[in-house]
Amino acid sequence: MAFPLPRGITPPEISFLAEMEMVSILPRQRLEGLELLGGPIEPLLPPRRATLPLWLALLLKRQRRANILPPSWLHPESLSLILDIETQHGDSKGAFSPPPPLPNQPSAQEHYQKRPVAIPHYTPDGNRYFPSSPFLPQNVAVDQGPVGEAPRLPFHWLEVGTMLLEAASDDLVDPDQTRRLLKELREVRSSKMRSGVDVLDSAAVGGNVVSLTGVGAMEIGEGRGFISGVVDGLRRIGASKEQARREQMAGEMGSGGYGATQDDDDDDDMEF
Amino acid sequence: MDIDDILASVDQPDASTPQSTALDHQLLTRFWIAERGVSELLPWPAGLMDRTMERVRRQIESIEDLAASSSDPYSTATNSNSNNNPTLNLKLSILQTDLSRTQYLVRSLLRHRLSKLSKHSMHYLLLVSPGPSSSPQNNNDNDDDENDPHPQDSIPPLPPTSSNPDTAAPLSPQELAFLHAHQSLLAKHYASSFLSSFPPQLRRLDDNAGGTSMVQAPETKEVVFVRCLVDGVRVVVPAADAGEDDIYATAMRVGDVAVVRWEGVRDAWGGGRWRFYNTF
Amino acid sequence: MSYYDVDSILTDSEKLPCTFELEVPGLGVLEGNPGENIKAGTQLDLPLWLGEMLSIGARLGTSRLVTLDIPSALSERVLNALKADPRTIDLRSLAPHFYSLSERVLELFEEEEMVDVLLNTFAKRAAEIADHAHNPKGAMGQGVDFLRGLDEMERQLFRVAHEGAKEVRVWAGEAKKRP
Repeated sequence: MAFPLPRGITPPEISFLAEMEMVSILPRQRLEGLELLGGPIEPLLPPRRATLPLWLALLLKRQRRANILPPSWLHPESLSLILDIETQHGDSKGAFSPPPPLPNQPSAQEHYQKRPVAIPHYTPDGNRYFPSSPFLPQNVAVDQGPVGEAPRLPFHWLEVGTMLLEAASDDLVDPDQTRRLLKELREVRSSKMRSGVDVLDSAAVGGNVVSLTGVGAMEIGEGRGFISGVVDGLRRIGASKEQARREQMAGEMGSGGYGATQDDDDDDDMEF
Repeated sequence: MDIDDILASVDQPDASTPQSTALDHQLLTRFWIAERGVSELLPWPAGLMDRTMERVRRQIESIEDLAASSSDPYSTATNSNSNNNPTLNLKLSILQTDLSRTQYLVRSLLRHRLSKLSKHSMHYLLLVSPGPSSSPQNNNDNDDDENDPHPQDSIPPLPPTSSNPDTAAPLSPQELAFLHAHQSLLAKHYASSFLSSFPPQLRRLDDNAGGTSMVQAPETKEVVFVRCLVDGVRVVVPAADAGEDDIYATAMRVGDVAVVRWEGVRDAWGGGRWRFYNTF
Repeated sequence: MSYYDVDSILTDSEKLPCTFELEVPGLGVLEGNPGENIKAGTQLDLPLWLGEMLSIGARLGTSRLVTLDIPSALSERVLNALKADPRTIDLRSLAPHFYSLSERVLELFEEEEMVDVLLNTFAKRAAEIADHAHNPKGAMGQGVDFLRGLDEMERQLFRVAHEGAKEVRVWAGEAKKRP
């Protein structure tokens, strides 16, 4: 077998991916800028802060060459706030706390405009390029977050949090409290994930989506096999209904097709 | 025209700049995750892979140069010289870690593609083959018995090697060669171990007698996990029959993370528009 | 149906009740009477692949050799029990490939209510499977009976759910990797 791993990236690979997240460090020594295959690295000039990929920050931290400035969401206060949002409905069926918005998401424009984007918006083929995790500044330390905005868990929250606790706990505000809160968040959200099986049947129907907005990368890694299995099973059992549903949909869409407006009813996508 | 589009004309990245390295790294990562997550083989990103491998080659050279300078007998002869660059070892370890990470991405990507190719080898051979599977009489050059069909006869011919890089080939030339060699070996192995003792009409590997085709295609209805990066990407319900049209169903909004059938979003990927969403 | 898929090959040999509409010379072998004829009106349980083949005439509307019936695993009684509480039924004892069999039956018969009952059954039991799979200590108490009654598709589901949870625990250093 050329590749015995299952479909979809596995937890160690998700962790590898999370190590590409950019974090802030306080270097303790000088180092000239480097041209890496992952992109250029800025020169380290203490006491100036630098932004580096997590894997490099951890490498420097383990050699005591830098301290890591934890992202603001990892502060115990932020984590408590997020935990409140996660549990405020009193049951486990609620939605996940909202993720940080994408740079081109309307509500986020203002928030992100101040942030430098290090790479061009276009690919060499001339296509627009929209970056996404782990290449968004979701884990860099900012002195003052947007005023009045609730903290949000980034896509790679569990991986970044766990790795920082392991390698840089002395750089965190209250590592024990942070560890406890991360564990609690993980449990609350994991039970939401499991109780969300009910809505998966809508993804078994062609043309539908089941929204997982707010779920983290590792959480998807954990649930991927099961979720795919449930949706595929439902699709196979319900195959005989598919054609009928298709005809109905074609009728509803009418001549819509390409020309249909982009913002007509989206009620089909449910919260998971 | 969008201001960004105007900027784009002056902003076309030159493949030799550090910024384009960073961008290609992001594209490679995105491609790797998608290839790992999707049941089908994705079209080979020839340009991206060529640029990446060229950079890997150059990076290995510069690491070797740097390492050579540190072990240079002339510079280690005196202590003062080795103190000249106290960060050399650190630099080397950073460069090497970065190199291994990229190599891991490429290796994982290529191996996963090979596993897809060997799992659905006949499907992909038929996909890239210019014509229908060769008829038995063409392939009898080294046969003892002219009328004895072999499992190898089921293997469709390879397309003529095209040097046009513009056509988005599903497979790289190396993958094409692998695929053909793999299936030929497999067919020979089947033939020598059991198929040659079967009645001639049961020796093919692309039979579909009895309503079940021996050629298995990957299931495109399996789900993928995507994040929508622009507003209004519509999930497609592909036409089931020739007489039907594709239906454009639910529109995803920017920032949505969703479970969706691969066939529902594959066109948005295939058209080189994989910037509209990323999988994971 | 997939050519190399063991589960779908095994599903092919699940039995389906068939009634012969015509007398067939020499087919007595199916009843255990080789050399005899099979009489019109004979009821026999035949494997899916054979029943399907013999019933082709019926589906084309020409002379029907056999008519097919719904297997006991999907009888009215079973469906009613599944409606009442899908979690208490031992699907495995009904048919090891219960859902694959259902899939094939639903291709042969138009049974709208059956589809809905089965979809609901699968979804409800999947939620239960997720809870059991998440338990690192494995199934205990009543869970053992439930898990024993899973059909093949559900067992596969349990396996991937359990492995997903376990892999994350291994990554987080909470569990040991298998040697």
